[in-house]
Amino acid sequence: MAKRLVLRIDYCVGCRSCEAACRSRFKSEARVRYAEVTAQAYFPLSCRHCAEPLCVAACPFDVIRKDPETGVVSRSSFHCVGCRSCVLACPFGVMDTYLLRSTSQKCSLCQDREAGPRCATTCPTGALQYVEESELAEKKTGVGIVARSPHWRRP
Amino acid sequence: MELKKTTCPFCLNGCTSAVVFDGYQYRMEYPAEGAVNKGRLCARGNSASIVVDHPKRLAYPLLDGRPIAWSEAENLVRAWRAAVEPGQIALVYSRGRGTDEARRLCGLAAELGTTHIACGHIEPENAFNARLEGTKDAALTDVEGAQAMLLVGDVFNTSPVAVGRMLDARYADRKNRLVVVDSIRTRQSGFAHVFIQTRPGTEPLALVALAGLLEEKLKVDVDVLAEAAGVTRGQLAAAAAVLGAGAPGFVGAAAHSGRVRHPMLYSLAAQLVALKAKMPFVGFRETALPEAGESFADLRKALVAGEVRLLFWTGGLYPYSYAELFPEAAKAEYRVATSIFVPDPSVPGLVLPVIAELEKAATATTYWGPATREPVATPLSGARDFGSVLELFGRAEEKELPVPAVHKAGTVVEMAKKAGGLAAPPGDGFLLVGEKKAVGLRGFYDAEERVSVSPADAARLELDADSVVRVTSPTATRKFAVTVTEQVPDGVVLVGINVHENRVLFPLVTDEVAGAVTVAPVSVTVEKLTEAVQPPAEHVPDRRGAAYPVN
Repeated sequence: MAKRLVLRIDYCVGCRSCEAACRSRFKSEARVRYAEVTAQAYFPLSCRHCAEPLCVAACPFDVIRKDPETGVVSRSSFHCVGCRSCVLACPFGVMDTYLLRSTSQKCSLCQDREAGPRCATTCPTGALQYVEESELAEKKTGVGIVARSPHWRRP
Repeated sequence: MELKKTTCPFCLNGCTSAVVFDGYQYRMEYPAEGAVNKGRLCARGNSASIVVDHPKRLAYPLLDGRPIAWSEAENLVRAWRAAVEPGQIALVYSRGRGTDEARRLCGLAAELGTTHIACGHIEPENAFNARLEGTKDAALTDVEGAQAMLLVGDVFNTSPVAVGRMLDARYADRKNRLVVVDSIRTRQSGFAHVFIQTRPGTEPLALVALAGLLEEKLKVDVDVLAEAAGVTRGQLAAAAAVLGAGAPGFVGAAAHSGRVRHPMLYSLAAQLVALKAKMPFVGFRETALPEAGESFADLRKALVAGEVRLLFWTGGLYPYSYAELFPEAAKAEYRVATSIFVPDPSVPGLVLPVIAELEKAATATTYWGPATREPVATPLSGARDFGSVLELFGRAEEKELPVPAVHKAGTVVEMAKKAGGLAAPPGDGFLLVGEKKAVGLRGFYDAEERVSVSPADAARLELDADSVVRVTSPTATRKFAVTVTEQVPDGVVLVGINVHENRVLFPLVTDEVAGAVTVAPVSVTVEKLTEAVQPPAEHVPDRRGAAYPVN
């Protein structure tokens, strides 16, 4: 069964360990980045591995493909020409506009690693988790954030 | 491919990390059986493979920035050593040297007959060495089972992996409470039930006032201290209600450069609250180095007086390589330092390459007890271990280091009174306050080219998101892009202190309460620049790909 990356936003402290783990493995390539919308809203910016990925549809050279079994959307670094079509197509803006080594930066959920994505493994607070799709419903997220602190609560 | 496990050397949480060499490069692995971290690592811990593989590792001795052969370096050290009297040699150990290595250096000082041996780790976190009579050290179980927690300073950024357990405890029950005392409204405060925001540098005053509410026998003038700290009695009473309810919990504190004005008082005040709340204490920090011989302040005086002709500095090069902050080092005729990276900017004198912490076996001190470190990488060719560098000065056995002082509660109250009298009321100027994020290990992930200001200050200076400002401190000037955020109080400019360019903005000052050299918040001028300067992007780390910056 396919596994998914899930973010328990109540636990995210914006430490950027996910980004560091990704950079450490892929040598400066941040396939998981970090977004800070406001002082209160910050989270890892990671590929959703969409059911119908627009980046796959946009790629003119069929470099990005979706694995029908695992659901992982990955790209071949050998065949990518760096045209940025995928970057423009991504509705979540998770792909960096900057090209590294002349290719787009695309999360592949660390397919080279049996234990799953490094970002989820390394997450110090357990905010990022790599779980079976069947477990997704049990993962409550955002419950604590509304009652997290009176300081951040809306007046 | 062999997986080699060790204890992460980048803070005292004692995380188990692992490095794999695949024949081409080192990369991190995350062993789930690690008792403390269960495979989790923070951004600093994830930098281990970068450190051992770094293109700027120092692999040959440098003389005034010029590469020389090891034989030439050895001859130079021997000649310099012979040219001075033993008493004119100063030995300084800093971050990166373990306690056992500090002991060896202490033994060498005794063998040579010099009194000039000092700890050069002047970060405020080293004040956590000082203990208050009666305080207990927190164990992991105290954190896991906590129902009431007090965090002082930016603990979340200092030890992110330890925070996982704290958040589990915080969310375990609706009645569990987290109290945060800090001068900056960090993300940590967003998780707090009670957040007490003090004026920068006055956290210990609020803490002693809080301890006074927890125990009246302390005879603390709560209102005076609260006013000096810029907090209300009501806020302190809310915190006292949480901490004094008898629920199990702990008090944790973190301190770093540019944030704390009186490090010793800061450490003891946090411990005082722990003592009065009957909770254990943990001082979160990146390294723990015991003091030995003379203080850093005395070493500076000796350098100025010309009593030191040969200065041997081993460990982290801050502040040794910062001529703006530590000009006294130039008074030494002969200078020898050790480094794992090529110093940038270049350092006068001799710099000897040594192996990184990840390339040697050692005993580690952690918050939760002793641990061992194993070498996870092959020592860099050309770099030598600390022992063989030490032998250039002489052979020595390890010598016991002095036991850190134990203070009494009454002393802390007296120190707080003194600090309360020194606290300056808020003025129209700006105070530069340091922020140390775990992501910034040697600037690997963040160039720290932005400062944060409050919306009111931004309006006063007519700043917006595209503005560029010049910040001028007594020691340096730097241009910054601006982030306007409510996290920062009015009159404060918040800046990251991981990179060299920002560290030089903070002069070394003497703590008026305890007398030690420290790095406190500093008054600066801020002016808006009208010239067209491209502001750096907010979250765009090093994009060159080929090399990571080193500071």
